[in-house]
Amino acid sequence: MRFALAIGTFLILVVHGIVFYNQFGHPWERNQNTYFDQAKVLAKTDAEKAALAARKPRIEQIVVSNFGETRVDRCTTCHIATDDPRFSSHAEPVKTHPYSPTLGDFQKDGKWERRHKFSEFGCTVCHDGQGRGLDAEYSHGKDEYWPDPLLGFVTQDNWRKDHAPKLKGKEYMQANCAQCHTDTAFPGTALVTRGRQIFFASNCYGCHRIEGLSDGTIGPDLSDVGRKWKLDYLWGRITDPKSILATSIMPKFNLKEEDVKALVAFLKSRKGRNFAETEIQRFKVKLTGGAELVQATIKPVKINPPEMVKQGEKLVLDRACTACHKLGDRDGGIAPDLSFEGSLRDSEWVYAHFKNPKSTMSDSIMPAFRFTDDEFKAMTAYLMTLRGQATPASGEAIYKNLCLRCHGEKGDGHGPIAEHLDPYPRDLTKAGFMNSKSEARLVNSVRNGVNGTSMPAWGKAVTEEQAKAVLGYIQTTFTKEPRRELKAKAIPETNPVAMSPESVTRGEALFVNRCAGCHGRKGDGKGPNSLDIQPKPRNLRNSFFVNSVDDKRLFESIQYGVQGTAMPPWIDYGLTNNDVGDLVNFIRSINPKTKGGQHAAAIQ
Amino acid sequence: MAVNLKRSSGEDSDGGKTSRRRMLGWLTGAGLAGSAGLSAVSNFVFIKPRATYGQPQRFSVGKPEDFPSGTRAILAARGICIVREGTKLAAISITCTHLGCTVGAADTGFACPCHGSRFDQDGNVTGGPAPRPLPWFQITLAPNGEIEVDKDIEIVPGSYLSL
Repeated sequence: MRFALAIGTFLILVVHGIVFYNQFGHPWERNQNTYFDQAKVLAKTDAEKAALAARKPRIEQIVVSNFGETRVDRCTTCHIATDDPRFSSHAEPVKTHPYSPTLGDFQKDGKWERRHKFSEFGCTVCHDGQGRGLDAEYSHGKDEYWPDPLLGFVTQDNWRKDHAPKLKGKEYMQANCAQCHTDTAFPGTALVTRGRQIFFASNCYGCHRIEGLSDGTIGPDLSDVGRKWKLDYLWGRITDPKSILATSIMPKFNLKEEDVKALVAFLKSRKGRNFAETEIQRFKVKLTGGAELVQATIKPVKINPPEMVKQGEKLVLDRACTACHKLGDRDGGIAPDLSFEGSLRDSEWVYAHFKNPKSTMSDSIMPAFRFTDDEFKAMTAYLMTLRGQATPASGEAIYKNLCLRCHGEKGDGHGPIAEHLDPYPRDLTKAGFMNSKSEARLVNSVRNGVNGTSMPAWGKAVTEEQAKAVLGYIQTTFTKEPRRELKAKAIPETNPVAMSPESVTRGEALFVNRCAGCHGRKGDGKGPNSLDIQPKPRNLRNSFFVNSVDDKRLFESIQYGVQGTAMPPWIDYGLTNNDVGDLVNFIRSINPKTKGGQHAAAIQ
Repeated sequence: MAVNLKRSSGEDSDGGKTSRRRMLGWLTGAGLAGSAGLSAVSNFVFIKPRATYGQPQRFSVGKPEDFPSGTRAILAARGICIVREGTKLAAISITCTHLGCTVGAADTGFACPCHGSRFDQDGNVTGGPAPRPLPWFQITLAPNGEIEVDKDIEIVPGSYLSL
């Protein structure tokens, strides 16, 4: 008992001693003493020696309030010789901070002068790290919870092992230079400028917003990404987006390593607001921040008509179109295959789709990219030359070549790119749907496409026999129910109710009562019930679709429902042909053919 | 415990040699006393902080060329006045020794606006309630050629840095 007590108290003494030593025997005190001793040897006058002798180790700090929040940088507590040129060849930490013309330092009378004096700028403005820290590990930001480790010098232990070595190098510090030196032509921030070019050239701006530079809405806002994330995360997010967030829809861009590096440095420099910026400058950037900004950063290609197709090809391949689309053996796995584009679309459609994707497909997620008109024309010309390979004869081969990318291996509509398409590809396993439509209509959908959706008109690539062959394959493999004789339906050929404001008003009242639950009050297919329904209710504001179907088909879908979907036969709920006529008029009225066109009068 | 005590008290009467019990007692006592002593020292050390808020006490104020001969430059933010006479330099505090106001330059030296203390060119009190002369701070020429002032070290008034 006594023995244990004695040992115990002795241990307590030892622990106390260790704590005491750690708390009061600081490494920085030893550093400073080393510095004083060596400086005394180098001192030339007695006064200098006396001044050094009077100095005792203590915490040195630089307080800087010119750069955002007040910084307290105690780095010079250890790095005490940073401004003493006699220590330039010593080892860290008692070493002179290097002088360099790239930092703006200059020589005067044979002596170096600093452009950025430590007393004005501190240390962490350029280097990051934890300015208040007095312990090497914590002040350098090695600790994984510190958001800004020494930029380009320190990698944290939890960073990916294969990324970490690439994240070292003082060129990353250009991201901090760019906090003040925002001029894109500034020679000291070449890496950031390069990253900015890649941001535009790889079309990152199409999805991401950076205040003053771009306004994409699909991806996260990157305005202050440099303040939020460390190099490791940025690198990972660019090179392999899904490795960090499994549900990320960001394409893999397969950039070269030095390009990723530039992009990381550029993103690290986006910290929301630069120290050098004023409100009015920001506002000006906002005003001009459109195509001009992109074209000022990346030189637009000068299109010369005889080589148009070639230049278009180069543009399509260089500017990351295949990060989403498929073209030959390049496949981004997000957007449709472009290999047959020339036989599917005409050049007006492609050009309009380039200029504004939503102008040809209401719910397209493709961003409107900022190419020049000539560039768009060249790319269109190139796409028009793409005819794919000859369509195979067998239904199975056709399905695998042309349909699988959207409709999926099992024909259930969950193809590899299906989640990015709106409307969703048709589920071909739903016998109710497949067998309630005439073969002629299905063939029509294949050969003429479905307007306003991603289903293109395959007519030029697929003959009627081939279409029938692939439909036969679908019927036997996916639908698995033989076709039935279609029952005759009592559907008026044309709308019995004439278009009139009264009819539209009645139709709207009916729509709100009966249809809005799924199709939404605005008719955009986003009603409260739509979340639980697959396939999703039709977006009735998709004018390309609505205008492509005739009244007869709308009557059929409303009165007899759409089998295999949640749309019920409204004839069972007591809708008369006149009621449906009002509804159809209402639906037509929210889809004007052109601005101020056919139905505009009725809406007034 | 009581039994234990009794038995060991029997062993204690060996005489001459230090008994095991006494030895252990010493060890315990030394451990406790040492710990208490260290804690006490640590507590006293912590009373005075190692680092203080605000601007550093040791700072550089620029090159000697910035202060031509005859200058009496008041650096209000730093709380000092740089005096240069010929090749001699000095840093004099401009914080009044009375109640800590910042004194201003006057024809005869310094004058405090708060309670009218007056000081001569060297900071000696010539009038008013100030109890002590203005202190002089250590001033050195740093290896990079800049003047460094250390407000933590006061020097004897009248001792200049000669360039």
